[in-house]
Amino acid sequence: MRSAEPGLSDLDERALVEACLGGQSAAFDVIVERHRRSVYLLCYRFVSNHEDASDLSQDVFLRAYRGLRSFRGQSSLATWLYRIGVNVCLNRVSAKKPLSESIADRQFVDETAESAPDRLLKDERGARVRAAIAQLPRKQRATLVLRMYHEMSHQEIADVLGSSVGAVKANFFHALSNLKKMLGGEVL
Amino acid sequence: MHLRPDELIDVAEGKRAESSATHLAECAVCRLHLAELKAMMSAAADVEVPEPSPLFWDHFSARVHDAVAAEGSPRRSFWIWPRLTLPAAAVALAALLLAVALNTGRVEAPAPLIVPDPLSPVASVDLLSDPQSTSDTALTLVAELSSDMDFETAREAGLAARGSAEHAVTHLTGSELRELQRLLQEELARSGA
Repeated sequence: MRSAEPGLSDLDERALVEACLGGQSAAFDVIVERHRRSVYLLCYRFVSNHEDASDLSQDVFLRAYRGLRSFRGQSSLATWLYRIGVNVCLNRVSAKKPLSESIADRQFVDETAESAPDRLLKDERGARVRAAIAQLPRKQRATLVLRMYHEMSHQEIADVLGSSVGAVKANFFHALSNLKKMLGGEVL
Repeated sequence: MHLRPDELIDVAEGKRAESSATHLAECAVCRLHLAELKAMMSAAADVEVPEPSPLFWDHFSARVHDAVAAEGSPRRSFWIWPRLTLPAAAVALAALLLAVALNTGRVEAPAPLIVPDPLSPVASVDLLSDPQSTSDTALTLVAELSSDMDFETAREAGLAARGSAEHAVTHLTGSELRELQRLLQEELARSGA
């Protein structure tokens, strides 16, 4: 495991950014360690497969590193990374149809807590919902992902997407309505 | 009048009590909309992301670390130019100084002082009339070689375009030239040339 230099892991976000800009590249390792899971999960929600989510997450951090000087601290580092992540993912899903992993490829889920038939049913239902989410217009998809899976406030989502709170709520409403149209009663 | 999308979202998310929206009690359409929104939120919330292996995170961090290392410092846009060009410039200037120093050995006697036409010389500094400059053989040689060079000749030779480094160097004062010489000699001494 790559461990951060002593003291760096105690620094707050702003200090870590300053340390990076001051030439301490190890400070960026700490930033990655703190945010890698949430960035990966964000990417996975967009592309629905591990390989692409992993590559996109790396791209997010690389872009963040390149643009670190532009981070002003007006939003949290997490929000800033989400903004980069959403842009990277939306560009990616525009260019390439999302590939869903087959259920057999999903090796990492703990399957001990549920019986096999229950797990299978849940996986199938989840796959249908994911496929429907993948069909949503870009902003609706981004809004739904950030709201449902990252528990971001409407204001934070508006900051990430560069829109208003009203627009975020309207996008969320239409995203859910479109999901209903696509899924019908099959998941209800 | 039906509830607006943002009002329905607020109620569906529990930010606004259903009882506060009195319209809901009398509108079956809005109640249906609300029920569907809640059902879709529940269906979406049930979709899990397979958690990667703990080993994946170390591998991922290492990949990002290597990619970032290949990028260089985020400050590099400020520093890349001087980092790359200063050594090259120092070497070039050192080579120039070395060439001048070697050439001075072939100068057997200082040429007679020539006062150049003030409108035509390239260099604005009259090195030949500067007592400190004339005591320096390298500067004397440069001054001699350039003293009778008119502007057209210099321009045809591609020398001293206004705004160029050469132009700046040829417009240094005598004391600035001596400082430049001292710096170059230091650089030569450091590099062992």
